[in-house]
Amino acid sequence: MRAADPAGALRGERSESALVMLRLVRRVGFYVFIVFVGAFFALPMVWLVLAPFDAHPTLNTALPDFTLGNFGDVLKDPYALTSLGDSILLAVGTMLLVVVLAAPAAYALSRIRLPGRDLLLYLLLLFSSIVTGTAAMVPLFLLIFDLGLTDTHLGVVLVLAGGLVPAGIFILKDFVDSIPTSYEESARLFGASSFQILRDIVLPYARPGLAVIAVWVMVNVWGNFLIPFILLRTPSSQPAAVVIYNFYTEGGQADLRLISTFGLLYSIPVVVMYLFVNRRYGFRFYGGLKG
Amino acid sequence: MADVEIRGLTKVFPGGVRALDALDLHINDGEFFALLGPSGCGKTTLLRTIAGLEGATSGKILIGGRDVTGLPPGARDVGMVFQDYALYPHMTVADNIAYPLKIRKVAKDERRRTAESVGGSLQIGALFERRPGQLSGGQQQRVALARVIAYRPRVFLFDEPLSNLDARLRLEARTFLKQLQTELGITTIYVTHDQSEALAMADRMAVMEKGQIRQLDTPTACFRRSANLFVAGFIGSTPMNLLPARILDGELDVAGCRLPIPEDARANVSPGETVILGARPEYMSLSRTEVPGALNGTVRILENLGVDTLVTVEVGDLHVRATVPDESVPTPGDRVWLTADPRHVLLYRQDDGEQVGAPRAAEGTSPGAPPVANTPAR
Repeated sequence: MRAADPAGALRGERSESALVMLRLVRRVGFYVFIVFVGAFFALPMVWLVLAPFDAHPTLNTALPDFTLGNFGDVLKDPYALTSLGDSILLAVGTMLLVVVLAAPAAYALSRIRLPGRDLLLYLLLLFSSIVTGTAAMVPLFLLIFDLGLTDTHLGVVLVLAGGLVPAGIFILKDFVDSIPTSYEESARLFGASSFQILRDIVLPYARPGLAVIAVWVMVNVWGNFLIPFILLRTPSSQPAAVVIYNFYTEGGQADLRLISTFGLLYSIPVVVMYLFVNRRYGFRFYGGLKG
Repeated sequence: MADVEIRGLTKVFPGGVRALDALDLHINDGEFFALLGPSGCGKTTLLRTIAGLEGATSGKILIGGRDVTGLPPGARDVGMVFQDYALYPHMTVADNIAYPLKIRKVAKDERRRTAESVGGSLQIGALFERRPGQLSGGQQQRVALARVIAYRPRVFLFDEPLSNLDARLRLEARTFLKQLQTELGITTIYVTHDQSEALAMADRMAVMEKGQIRQLDTPTACFRRSANLFVAGFIGSTPMNLLPARILDGELDVAGCRLPIPEDARANVSPGETVILGARPEYMSLSRTEVPGALNGTVRILENLGVDTLVTVEVGDLHVRATVPDESVPTPGDRVWLTADPRHVLLYRQDDGEQVGAPRAAEGTSPGAPPVANTPAR
């Protein structure tokens, strides 16, 4: 076709090169956009990493006036280290409670036909967001007060777990639903007891799901400010999320040196936990088997 | 090893679906027994009820003379191979095979030894450290078989174990499974919706429809002497010719052609009665010259089946099919005469679809008779 119409071929080539140019411009534009978006999100991270090592940090991200003194100052605070311990205690306690409660519930809800099951799940999910939400704070405080659990870690764990269990059940049920019933049935035919089936088949298979729930609960608790802030009065039992709120200078100004340094310390356990869980359990799935 | 006896077994699901309707069935010790039927006929429910995965609404199940109706699945001594094989994806092949022994608290070395000997005999020894997800469908099937063999049950239950394999592998696996069952001699109940599988493997089979057994016999008998229109239509790779016929002057009138009445049906029909004549294409012969007592028509369609050709002949307003060997294939438009082998012509009542007349003592009704030789494999 080209040989038969050289003029047309020339036109074709010209429009082809224009098309290439257009694509190039589009691609460059796209990358510039991506860089801006990336920088927008990356800058706070960079600040978090650089500011703790800066003798005079400001809200600007800048190469630090290098010092390790900030860490010394933070550790001088009587509650800095205990608060991290308290955070771990609350996170692990809530995580255990949620996993122990949500896993059997999810298994039962997945395997037993219950009239109104889906409605129940959705209602639970709906109310759970209110339970830990601000709206229910006053009744929750009164409830914990009547139980005599104010200023105790148990009270905080119960309230946090109460808010996270429904969503935990909801997520775990999806994992359990993906386990073919034939696995359990074949084990039953071999004479396995319910406990053996749970231990040998269901739990190993649902392990990535449990790991997801565990990490999700811990991250939620780690970052939760409102509930421990309201329920815990004694400074020595307050978790890191609450303690970071106290780093002010005498003049009532936010002390950026302490806040940034403590912020870095505060974020490290979460990153370590993620790396550990990812390595140990791996967020991977065995997937279904198909012939 | 054990026989399986089912007495008046009924299963009604919540919601009122009657999956099994007062079934009576006896499966002999060491027999390869197929449950065949379309989906929803109750065959899988029957298998799962025998396994104990479904409870019976009423009736009894006896395995080796022992009433197991109320026993949990693990106490029934039955091993099941599931359609999806149900291999545990987080365990290696070796652990999968040894799992039933672990449940029985067999020592670890002993478990390993048994797994190795069973796996070796099924040629999967090289795969022992792999996980099921890394195996092909055929290999997964062998692992599932090895696991159930290692369990040493008294009865094997197979729930469509070949349906996840591709067509070619399915044929290989079929032969392998049949050979394995013959060697082990363990009573086997095999559920399938594929009639060619049932015909090829079973010693006896039950053809099921709507929770009831429509025919219980050897594959040969089910194929040659299908007891009713349902079985006649369900069995056979090429559908049976089912032609409306009238009894006239001691002969059958089919679309204006006169055919002799099959001998065993002669006493059970009355003149003027309308019946349905059943004749398998495999038992029809085609002639290009006039033959008495034949269906006379015009060749319309030729379908190549490999060795044979399926010829569709238009007789009046009916279509009649016959399989014809390669050398005598006609051309479309030819005028031909079709005769049905009188030993294989069946008459069915028009009202209930059951066969006219008393069932003849058909050849090959004893269990263990080889499946009919000329069934084309699907």
